[in-house]
Amino acid sequence: MSIILSIPTLGLIAILQSAVVSRLPLNRGTADLVLVVLVAIALQKSVTTSWQWSIVGGLFMDFLSGLPFGVFTVSYLLATGLAVIIRERIWRFSFLMQLLVVLFGTMFSHALSFLVLFLQGSEISLATALQIVTLPSIILNFMLSLPIFILTQDILEQVIPQE
Amino acid sequence: MNIRFPKSLRIIALSLVAIGILALALSGVFTSFSRWVVSPLTSVQTWVSQQYMGVENFVSASQDIREIRQKNTELEAENARMQAQIVELQQQLVEFEILSALLEFARANPEYQYIGASVIGRDPSPFLNYIIINRGSDDGLRRGMPVVTQNGLAGRVVQVTATGARVSLITDPVTRINVRVEPSRSAAVLTGSITGDITLEQIPQDDDVNPGNLILTSGLGGNYPANIIVGQITSVRSRENALFQSASVQPVTDFSDLSIVLVVTNFEPVDFSPLIPESGTP
Repeated sequence: MSIILSIPTLGLIAILQSAVVSRLPLNRGTADLVLVVLVAIALQKSVTTSWQWSIVGGLFMDFLSGLPFGVFTVSYLLATGLAVIIRERIWRFSFLMQLLVVLFGTMFSHALSFLVLFLQGSEISLATALQIVTLPSIILNFMLSLPIFILTQDILEQVIPQE
Repeated sequence: MNIRFPKSLRIIALSLVAIGILALALSGVFTSFSRWVVSPLTSVQTWVSQQYMGVENFVSASQDIREIRQKNTELEAENARMQAQIVELQQQLVEFEILSALLEFARANPEYQYIGASVIGRDPSPFLNYIIINRGSDDGLRRGMPVVTQNGLAGRVVQVTATGARVSLITDPVTRINVRVEPSRSAAVLTGSITGDITLEQIPQDDDVNPGNLILTSGLGGNYPANIIVGQITSVRSRENALFQSASVQPVTDFSDLSIVLVVTNFEPVDFSPLIPESGTP
């Protein structure tokens, strides 16, 4: 799948994330639309450019976020790495793999954000962060996972010719 | 044998018969007879009339239905237009209310110059309480400018691009604002948190602070102008052995529903960093 296509696609998704998804919190947690989409793409066997897609998605999010530059890119690369490992090790994966990678991806992303903010001097309680930010975010990401997984599969079947 | 009556006599006889018939009719003798004759006629007339009306409707109906359908389509389109207009007007009304409140705030604080900005997004990270506004350096915005709403302080500009800016809200965990409590005039530090609550720290133990007291910016530190309302104390925590009291604060701004803000453009934050001695300097 062309890397050029990733720029408008992920740019639009990142804008959606900032303008809409971030305004729909569950407690203090919000869904990470870009992460869910990147995981759904990385889990498809037909996609060979998932690393590049995760870098583009991460850069867009890093530009939009006030977190130190690179936090989202590194998080997305870790999530993509996990997705690629699962894709290559498991012969036949299901939607449950999407949930698993989204779970770990959200945890990577939040752990990294927490660590960076902690090092910057923010007084954030780990227990509170887990309870009111990470857990609700995981739930929201799970809720988005099924429709996005199906949609990504359908779109990729159209875009990339199957053997 | 053909008997011929005179003409005048025939006329008189016929007139008498007619008058007789009329008299009998008026007296009601013919009522039952006429009912017996007229009743089937009425039924037949009704049936004929109904058939005629049916045929007439059939002939004219296709034309009417076409017109009604066309009218219905026009009315449906008009209705949809009106509905859209209502939604647009309601939205404009909300914006007008916000703008008039902002204008009132600007009039009440004429010492500052303001630029209105729309909130176009929030930080994608749930750990940060930042908003993104649609005004940037092209509009004269600079890093450090305070941001207010019609109710009071909202935050400050932390990053500026040509057409947009990122604003750190006072609820952000990194926020530290020097404030004072009214009416006691106690100095304190306002801190944000990941939960979105704001807390007042470092209130001297001896100071008299109570729920309901107002929190205003003190201007100390040079990051915010003085006397902008921030919130109201909801509860005070004081321990005997502690150096300071702390308090929970209800912010005056509803941060979950921010749509338009004002940026104070003529406030220059003071940079104290050259005055802070470096470690190792005598």
